Amino acid sequence: MMALFKKNSTAELKTIKELSDKKVTIISSVSSIFVGLLFGLVILFIIEIIKEYSDFTNPFYGFVNLMTSGISSIGNILKLLYKAAPLMMTGLAIGFAFKAGLFNIGATGQYTVGAFFALIAAILWQFPWWAALIVAMITGALWGFIPGLFKAIFNINEVITTIMLNWTALFFVNLLFYNNPGIYLTPERTTALASANPSAILPDLGLKVALNSSYVNIGIFIAILFAILIYIIMEKTTFGFEIKACGHNKNASVYAGIKAKRTIIYTMLISGALAGVGGGIQFLSGTVQYTVSNTTLMPMGFNGIPVALLAFSNPIGIIFSSLFISFLQVGGENMQPIYSSEMVNVILAVIIYFSAFSLILSQFIRKRLNMRSIDLEIAANRLETPLEENIPPKEEPVEPVIEKSSKKEVEK
Amino acid sequence: MDIIAIIIANTIAYGVPLLLVALAGMFSERSGIINIALEGIMIFGALFASIFLTSGIVGTEFAANNPQLVIFLAMILAAITGSLFSLLLAYAAIKLKADQVISGTALNIFAPAFAIILAWAIQGQGVTDIPLPDIVDLSWGFDAANLPTWLNTLVSKKMYLTTPISILILIAAYVTLYKTKFGLRLRSCGEHPQAADSVGIKVLRMRYIGVAISGFLAGIGGFAFVMASSNSTFTADVAGYGFLALAVMIFGNWKPFRILFAALFFSFFKTISALAVDAQLSSIFPTFNLASPENLYKMLPYLITLVVLAFTSKQSRAPKAEGIPYDPGKR
Repeated sequence: MMALFKKNSTAELKTIKELSDKKVTIISSVSSIFVGLLFGLVILFIIEIIKEYSDFTNPFYGFVNLMTSGISSIGNILKLLYKAAPLMMTGLAIGFAFKAGLFNIGATGQYTVGAFFALIAAILWQFPWWAALIVAMITGALWGFIPGLFKAIFNINEVITTIMLNWTALFFVNLLFYNNPGIYLTPERTTALASANPSAILPDLGLKVALNSSYVNIGIFIAILFAILIYIIMEKTTFGFEIKACGHNKNASVYAGIKAKRTIIYTMLISGALAGVGGGIQFLSGTVQYTVSNTTLMPMGFNGIPVALLAFSNPIGIIFSSLFISFLQVGGENMQPIYSSEMVNVILAVIIYFSAFSLILSQFIRKRLNMRSIDLEIAANRLETPLEENIPPKEEPVEPVIEKSSKKEVEK
Repeated sequence: MDIIAIIIANTIAYGVPLLLVALAGMFSERSGIINIALEGIMIFGALFASIFLTSGIVGTEFAANNPQLVIFLAMILAAITGSLFSLLLAYAAIKLKADQVISGTALNIFAPAFAIILAWAIQGQGVTDIPLPDIVDLSWGFDAANLPTWLNTLVSKKMYLTTPISILILIAAYVTLYKTKFGLRLRSCGEHPQAADSVGIKVLRMRYIGVAISGFLAGIGGFAFVMASSNSTFTADVAGYGFLALAVMIFGNWKPFRILFAALFFSFFKTISALAVDAQLSSIFPTFNLASPENLYKMLPYLITLVVLAFTSKQSRAPKAEGIPYDPGKR
């Protein structure tokens, strides 16, 4: 009897510890997503009230559109995957930097530079797609290297330097655009890859014709490969450990013999490379051309921020969060023209804001779990000491819901 | 002479929103909260001021008689809505001890999207810009046309109500921060909140006030930006000024008058780059045999700021406790 209890309690202890790490994170992510969507629906209703001619069926249709059109047809699913690929890359770039305690808000700049040099390689130098992608990676990495250097040497906040470099990237790319007349036919956008260099378009494995969609290419697979690669770097290598140590406490990591400055530079280098590949994937798809803008930065880099935050910077989580956000974006487009597709960003903002609340929620759950696990530990210890042999374990479950879920785990 | 007047007038016009928003950032960071949401707060404040100005009040007799008073009211509205919006950040950062950068980012994503949705809903499908009425230019009560051209440029072109007010705010910010009991307390919360707490200062309350002042000023800054931006049109975008203001704040070492200098420094180069596009003046800028050399000049303000930051980083001294949630048990 006693031995059984001990076995059970240690098993439960183990499951509680596992539960407190992963499941709580997922529970809090899902609950903040739920709150975000609910808030979106409320906003739709408020808009309908403000409007001159209110039609209260509109919010429902809009919301159903938002939540279904991403998977309503094969065409839309392909579009979803097509949009998710560069989003995943910028999300990985930002999440990777987050792990080292750096806020790479300059993914936009690195993305822009990577994208443009991929096009230069493809159109001017007639590179095949994989070589153009490598060019995008290298140039993105160089653009990320600068803020890393500034952070390491001068200790200037990377938020400031990357913002400056975002705008510098925009004008730098514009300058290159106008000074390389071979890259454009009309002085607004680059030549379409289909006519300039078909070998630079990402392969579609013959699916473009088979599925009758221009949105098919292997970009999403490349992005997932990078996500797995980053996961391996983060979890299985010393370098990944150094990055996380730097992110947790820079001083402690320096004390432990980690070269923090070097780690910061490498982190920004890799982060920039990821964003650069994202730009390459987007513009080597052959579906879009680079269009000159004098006033606005490319939104893709900024969209990577919610991708990373929603996944708590976990590379595998980023695969799913980018798919989710891409799903919302496709849905948001279909809400137009009744509602602006910006609705998606409102929902994302609320989700991110409430992830702060859910962090509190998860801390609360953890605290309860810890109390329970401490109780169990005490109980197990008591069983070992002969003097208190006769005292029955008086611990009562503190939180019935968790009790249930953890028992299930034991039964498994 | 005319060119100098144009440069000065433009420098001031670009510099005023930067100054206001950088001061906003200063108040927040001096109390210990990193306010990365300045961009979002600017948009939020400017949105409500723009809606107010286009809501029909301009056509009334009251507005015709007191145009600047209407602008003043719009400015106050921007300040109050900005302040309320910033309390969202304050609540997450102070009460919930959430990551300040993440909550700030949420606000930054929310504001422009919300502005577009609201403008879309009010003005009809697809219309997201809100053009301000043309009463925003400041008239000084005399006929500026009789003045010499350069003086006319200086006092009546690109001069808005927010310009003189920003000077008052700058002085008020300095006095508040360095000459009052409140300012000393606010600064102590950003340097060593535990020590401040030990002498009876309510750290959390001070931080709430710090962020609220920050939102107040950033709202005004957003409105100032919209008035000074091209055609005085609200476009749910402030061209990264919220972030640039953060750079100006760091460049200004978290001190009011240095921030003024930093803001003018940046906006001077911004003006130079704007003039390089100007049809009449572009001829005096060397082209280096490049096509579209104006892009080279547009990079200038950002690159120069980077270089200056690199050189001044040694003296840079951020508030010690910024970004760290207050934990009374910590030593």
